[in-house]
Amino acid sequence: MKTHIHPAARMYAREVTKGQMSRREFLGRATALGVSASAAYGLIGTSFPARAQPVPRMGGTLRIQMNCLELKDPRIYDWSEMSAVSRGVIEYLVEVQRDGTLRPMLLESWAANDDATEYTLNVRRGVNWNDGTPFTAEDVAANIIGWCDESVEGNSMAARMASLISDGQAAEGTVEIVDSHTVKVKPRTPDGTLMFGMADYPAAIVPKDRIGEALTDHGIGTGAYMIEELKVGERIVMVKNPDHTYWGEAWLDRVEFLDYGTDPSAWLAGADADEFDMTFEMVSDFIDIFTSIGWVESEVGTSVTVVIRPNREAEVNGIRPYADVRVRRALALAVDNAVPLELGISGRGQQSNNNYHVAPGVHPDHAEIAPHEKNVEEARRLMNEAGMMEFEHELVSIDDDYRKNTTDAVAAQLRDAGFKVKRTVMPGSTFWNDWTKYPFSSTNWNHRETGIQTLNLAYRSTAAWNETGFRSAEFDALLDQATAIADSETRKAIMARLEQMMVDEGIAIIPYFRSLYRHYKPGLVGAQMHPKFEINIHHLGWA
Amino acid sequence: MALFILRRLGVMVLTALCMTLIVFALTNLPPNLEKLAKTQAGTRITDDEVHSWLERNGYSAPILRRYGEWLGVVPASVATDAAGNVVGGRCLRGVRSTSIERVPRYCGVLQGEWGYSTKFRVPVSDLVTERLARTGVLMFWAFATMVPLALIFGVLAGMREGSVTDRTLSTISIASTSTPEYVSGVVFVVVFASSAVGLKWFTGSAKSAVNGITFENFTLPVATIALYGMGYIARMTRASMAEVMTAQYIRTARLKGVKFRDIVLRHALRNALIAPFTIVMLQFPWLLTGVVIVEALFVYPGFGDALVQGAQNNDIDLLLAVSVVAVVVVLVTQLISDIGYALLNPRIRVS
Repeated sequence: MKTHIHPAARMYAREVTKGQMSRREFLGRATALGVSASAAYGLIGTSFPARAQPVPRMGGTLRIQMNCLELKDPRIYDWSEMSAVSRGVIEYLVEVQRDGTLRPMLLESWAANDDATEYTLNVRRGVNWNDGTPFTAEDVAANIIGWCDESVEGNSMAARMASLISDGQAAEGTVEIVDSHTVKVKPRTPDGTLMFGMADYPAAIVPKDRIGEALTDHGIGTGAYMIEELKVGERIVMVKNPDHTYWGEAWLDRVEFLDYGTDPSAWLAGADADEFDMTFEMVSDFIDIFTSIGWVESEVGTSVTVVIRPNREAEVNGIRPYADVRVRRALALAVDNAVPLELGISGRGQQSNNNYHVAPGVHPDHAEIAPHEKNVEEARRLMNEAGMMEFEHELVSIDDDYRKNTTDAVAAQLRDAGFKVKRTVMPGSTFWNDWTKYPFSSTNWNHRETGIQTLNLAYRSTAAWNETGFRSAEFDALLDQATAIADSETRKAIMARLEQMMVDEGIAIIPYFRSLYRHYKPGLVGAQMHPKFEINIHHLGWA
Repeated sequence: MALFILRRLGVMVLTALCMTLIVFALTNLPPNLEKLAKTQAGTRITDDEVHSWLERNGYSAPILRRYGEWLGVVPASVATDAAGNVVGGRCLRGVRSTSIERVPRYCGVLQGEWGYSTKFRVPVSDLVTERLARTGVLMFWAFATMVPLALIFGVLAGMREGSVTDRTLSTISIASTSTPEYVSGVVFVVVFASSAVGLKWFTGSAKSAVNGITFENFTLPVATIALYGMGYIARMTRASMAEVMTAQYIRTARLKGVKFRDIVLRHALRNALIAPFTIVMLQFPWLLTGVVIVEALFVYPGFGDALVQGAQNNDIDLLLAVSVVAVVVVLVTQLISDIGYALLNPRIRVS
């Protein structure tokens, strides 16, 4: 069968050969359009990289240190730890790999039309639920409609499926079952990021009559595993389901998740006691310690960051200090972003190019613009001009290690520039009440696969998580354009404009993008750190 | 005697009532309820969602009424949606959807329902029983090490006041009791369990002790608790022993030519043990909450860990059950200590 390759993918491939687009960006964009990873590599004249890692052997037990949380309705998952457990039973349509490409799981393939307003999802054949019933297009359609239900408290899939929703539900005709193994999804506006949304951790596929229930209520999924024991805060045990024929490959017989709390020194004690083989994540000084005891260190660059932002709508003593662009620009100009990177996270990450929320080298849609330069003179001049030299800025942060230190590093530089800064540190239990409303504070932001997703989530005028008070019709219009698929040069030009607007408007100080780390014992295959912390126990095994 | 015990039980119930009322009031302060909603329904939910979540799950009624529901003297309210289907309420926590006829009217302590742990997602009674059993094992071994050691130290030191033995043992006792658990525990882990020193005789994590205790995984937590408690009991025993040794009847015995060994074992010991007995009994309630640090340090999921997790997540029913257990343990050990005191010392009557 000759596979249809999306015309935009061919166009991108030409741009790669002309050097107008990076390889990474091309792979992300092309696979999102339904081109398989190997075909995408073929389009740009390179071959699909052979598996660098050995194929694991069958069998064995793996013990993973991880917080053991209760499983809820997947749509309202708020920690990726939940999906690391449930992924062994309820799987996903597609999966984002470490290199930013999408890989089909419960889909055999997918394709988008030329303006990304119609996606054809080809449901994998020969997949059964572990109760014996076949997995069909009806299940897929029911899940997508479920994701669009905004009436469910905490359903974060609704934001990812926004282009399918009207009046809080999936709009009429956006999800269509073509035959038993084909579903058509028709976004109401062009949406090039839809497939990334379907790969995210709340997008687990459950049987069509089990939507809204937690996995622990029914245990039905397509995966090779079943939950043997689940004790919140203690341990979770997954074993291979003996009564189920899995469609793919799964190596391990048994996976144990063990909860050691949040203190890394307890993790170290557990590692020293040989009580587990792999960590969920490794942080701070313990990264070097774990490497020194002979564990394998795995690093991945992400767009995880700390945003230190003024809120232009916030009032302090009857005035809106940050409504003035000169004040916001002055704050950004007074800061050398290398300092928070060093003092906040000990250099474990990359410095941002400039103060915009798109990560160079990580986000496939990053456009290069002029880099940020610290300029205290200009900062003081702007602040003086605004008449705000005597104003005391209250900079709020959460009480932890890296976010507090990063914010401290920014505050210290602002003081060095002659601005008055008062630091307020709040405990985690109260910080998140009204976190979008602080006049001047720092917020940590998680990784998204593309820059455009983050911009839509945090800087659109109507976004629920808009914490900067930045509301610009022009910015929103540019976002709409960039969200739809367009020619790479034009889109890059738009991204560059969006990024430049963020800088010129002094929206925030975005000093760095963090790397994430994970450690595991030598001999474990497929355990590398993932930008979104994902663990898929089907891929894990012992060499 | 029976009247005495009965009166004590009365005091116990009264104390537990006051205690739980205070805990209930504190855990039900509006910010704490908001925290509960956020840990349950998502960290970044809006104020409206917090409100509707509390409403739906039976946390919005007046506080005294809900305390009554917890006690089981007031029927628990049940939230229903527009169509009359039950959506939540006190008696429905941890229960999957059911019809309204099947929801019990009362589900409080008087009905034997200790509620549902919102953090651990199991009935509180199951959790507390399991956790108490684990901490019980830890306490048993700690006591089995601590009490004999402390008594031997104390008796040996107090037997000849001012001797070299006394000075040495007293120094050890003072050093051990003045080293807090979080110091000695960390030192133990670094020296005996870490790659840093490399001895690795024991494990610095007692997580695997849940599946069966071994010498490797249980020695350090037991030693940490025992060391801290030992010094204190040893000092008390020493003081009491030293005092007894100066008593008239000991001098008489000596003058009569009784062997020193017999004087200590037959005449001095029983009288000298009266004071330490009370101290030992007092260690029970201290240990029950004092294990918080040791359990956190050694990742042992026991009663102390449940207390910490309950407090962090504002797990109301769990915290109430924990405080009831604390009250019962304190007062029961006090009762035993009073009765035991009377048995050891015939001059005192229980009445």
